[in-house]
Amino acid sequence: MIETLISGITYSSLLSLMALGITLLYRTTKVPNFAHASFVVFGIYTSYTLALLGYNPYLGTLLGFIVSGIIALILFYALLEPLRRRKSSIFILMMATLTYDILMFGIINIYADYLQTTFKIPARNVYLAPQDFTLIGLKGVTIVSTSLLIVLLMLLYILLNRTIIGAALRAVMENPSLAQANGINVSLMLALSWFLAGGLAGVAGALLPMYMMTDPSTGMLLIAPMFCASILGGLEQIYGAPLGGFILGLATTVLVSWLSGVIGYWIMTYSLMVPYITLIVTLIFIPRGVVSIILKR
Amino acid sequence: MFDVIILFITDLLAFFGIYLMLNTALNIERGYAGIPNFGLLFSYAGGAYITGHLTAKIAILLTGAKVEADPITQPVSALMVLNPILASNPLISITLLIIILLIGASFGALLGLIQLGPAIRLREDYLAITLLALGEVMNYIAIAYKPFINGSLGVQVPDVFSWIGSRYRFYLATGIILLIAFILYIYAEFLGRTPLGRAMKAIRENEIAAVSLGKSLTRYRAIAMIIGSAFTGVAGSLWTLYSGAITPTLQRFDWTFLPWLMIFLGGIGNNLGVALGTFIFVLINRLIIFNKHLLAGVLPFDIVWFDYISLGLIMGLILIYRPQGILPEKPYIPKNIRRKIVVSRSQE
Amino acid sequence: MLVIEKLNSGYGKLHVLYDVSLTAKRKEITAVLGPNGAGKTTLLNSIFGLADIYSGSIELDDERLNKMPPHMISRRGVSYVFQLMNIFPNLTVEENLRLVARFSGMNHKDIENSLKEIYDLFPILKERRRQVAGTLSGGERQMLAISIGLIKRPRLLLLDEPTAGLAVRYVDMLIEKILEMKKTMDMIILLVEQNVHKALKIADKVYVLVSGRIIFEGTPSELVNKEDIAKMYLGVG
Ligand SMILES: Nc1ncnc2c1ncn2[C@@H]1O[C@H](COP(=O)(O)OP(=O)(O)OP(=O)(O)O)[C@@H](O)[C@H]1O
Ligand SMILES: [Mg+2]
Repeated sequence: MIETLISGITYSSLLSLMALGITLLYRTTKVPNFAHASFVVFGIYTSYTLALLGYNPYLGTLLGFIVSGIIALILFYALLEPLRRRKSSIFILMMATLTYDILMFGIINIYADYLQTTFKIPARNVYLAPQDFTLIGLKGVTIVSTSLLIVLLMLLYILLNRTIIGAALRAVMENPSLAQANGINVSLMLALSWFLAGGLAGVAGALLPMYMMTDPSTGMLLIAPMFCASILGGLEQIYGAPLGGFILGLATTVLVSWLSGVIGYWIMTYSLMVPYITLIVTLIFIPRGVVSIILKR
Repeated sequence: MFDVIILFITDLLAFFGIYLMLNTALNIERGYAGIPNFGLLFSYAGGAYITGHLTAKIAILLTGAKVEADPITQPVSALMVLNPILASNPLISITLLIIILLIGASFGALLGLIQLGPAIRLREDYLAITLLALGEVMNYIAIAYKPFINGSLGVQVPDVFSWIGSRYRFYLATGIILLIAFILYIYAEFLGRTPLGRAMKAIRENEIAAVSLGKSLTRYRAIAMIIGSAFTGVAGSLWTLYSGAITPTLQRFDWTFLPWLMIFLGGIGNNLGVALGTFIFVLINRLIIFNKHLLAGVLPFDIVWFDYISLGLIMGLILIYRPQGILPEKPYIPKNIRRKIVVSRSQE
Repeated sequence: MLVIEKLNSGYGKLHVLYDVSLTAKRKEITAVLGPNGAGKTTLLNSIFGLADIYSGSIELDDERLNKMPPHMISRRGVSYVFQLMNIFPNLTVEENLRLVARFSGMNHKDIENSLKEIYDLFPILKERRRQVAGTLSGGERQMLAISIGLIKRPRLLLLDEPTAGLAVRYVDMLIEKILEMKKTMDMIILLVEQNVHKALKIADKVYVLVSGRIIFEGTPSELVNKEDIAKMYLGVG
């Protein structure tokens, strides 16, 4: 049971990092980023590549932040910014992120093919847990993912609330045209938010192969949980994302494992359905997220 | 050589027909009612898988054949009994086809309702998120729930076209696909001219005004989604029947992204544009796939991924430079009103 | 001095302004009047880099503003108070002001001084400084919007219908305040107003814009004498 709980916390931390970026982007660019899963997958392959080259895969969190951050920046500058200049609708922007997801899926698969031929390994089954370390009985990935989540949340808080750039970012979230009217380079701030969000997804992705078996289509599996966590926390509340991440993460792991004891083991097969059900229930009952309920009090 | 060309054309037309159904459906959902259906795969896969699940079972009922083997887990032995009966009995085959298509349509419509239900009152972006997320569900269900289509192994289905003789089987299947696609297309075009269709478009144009008109927004969205998903379900059914087998591997790229690409290419809202976009796309796509072997040695990776990248790039360019498509939507003005405009102009 | 010459501008293919020329001086209020849809907001948008300029020039103290992006124009000392959505609704009153001040590159001392000036001008904002801006009344919100424009001590202040939709007591008070600003602060004020009577009372110079063209230029008293224009387009006289 304890083991399930720890595994649940690890998963929740990773989910929170992903959801955090989705919410951040929704607040700045007002668009649900359907390419977010790709950013995660680039993180996966960054730490995997490092591991193949003989480095410690945990270096992948740092490098993954940069790689996925740049992947996100390319999306912003190549597609979203030209579209925003043309005053394209939210729908077109959503379509653009979906398109980019398709593009990146192609690229990551080509990269996997390349790794496969170069290193003669099955690059479509990325699992690094056997190489993980343990400390006081805890798996490395648990320690690293939870502490990284806490550190990154604190850094994000400091950036947003204690620095001038953060103030500019908040201004852009609140009222972009007024921000621009007061000397803030909105486009630059949006680019920053894409870099940060991509980076956070990259960190989560870099840690993911320590937690579970991954491959290029892991992204498809992640879309529902990521968006569910983000909406559950409240798309309007940045710090709601980790809350949503933990509620959903623990529900998918701890709750389902408990239910399998009560109802029967077959229910485990359907644990994949939890995010979908949660998403639907959330949309029907609390479309503005858990934080909206807390704030109302 | 001649055979190869005929084969190419049959294959091309079958794909064109299937995609025309999907794209017309998408056009009703997006072009008419403004629903950003990024989860087209849900009802398409639903139609395809339910067909995989039920065709043999219904065939057993219709023919009254004694089949010991379970048609899901032991399809080969079941089909050894069923296929010869169907091949010699056009009437039963056609009845089976019609029943299956009706089931595909109703199951698709049901899935459409499930998909839209929670999000129907929400803003466009939330709607898009729900639809996209649900789009991935059908494959998980099909893989997890073995009795559905035998898990990841998939199932083979009885052949409802073979009564015409195995030589002409694909021609018949393609012809039926085209016929149904054509009927659905005409229906969509007709729908666009009815008061219902125009009300949908009015809502799409101005969601805020439409919301202030009360419930109509949700009602029209639901109607469009039911009709569209029924079309999509039929397309899924036909795909399974045409292929003769189905595995839970239908991809978002092929069955959601490409339809979007094609309706963007043709012109969202305009059925003729959508048909044109579909034809152009399928033609080029099939030509490339037909000549794939030429590239096989040249590229250091599977050519499928090249598709993802090139088509992704094309979509990006369309979004930036021509989001309205080749044939942009023209506002439809009913004849009696058109006459009045002409009259009032000539009086000026 | 703000000098606009033969300005043609609009949005994409929609041509809104035709050959508009206008001059606005320091320590003066220049009012732009005109019916709905005449292009008044578009004129301000053009100055601020938010519309497409096809030809003509816009110069502030001999520096060309055309082709500059809005955030650069803002850094040249231009403040634009929008007609709508002109505050940060989830921040407090003081956060709104401080945030904007920080981006104008003022040092700490200047910010405090400027803040004091603004609280002197609008004492009610000082009372409300810890209140979330979204919960202010319409009049208070408009005062905050103008203060956001003033905090960086601009050379040019663009005001788009600051009194629109306000209760009468707020209208009179805001008009008084604008007059006070003109006297105490050294800047060019370009005021777009629907409230013709009030605008004529405080303006030094008036332009009337109709269908994207300037059809009158002169002092308020000259305008009142031109009965045809006053009646036809502005509903006064
Ligand atoms: N951002 C925009 N994009 C496209 N067209 C616009 C935009 N803003 C205004 N227009 C159009 O430009 C024309 C002039 O509008 P403008 O807002 O400048 O008028 P106005 O004089 O400010 O009117 P009002 O008194 O109603 O504020 C109108 O036809 C309007 O529809
Ligand atoms: Mg205006």
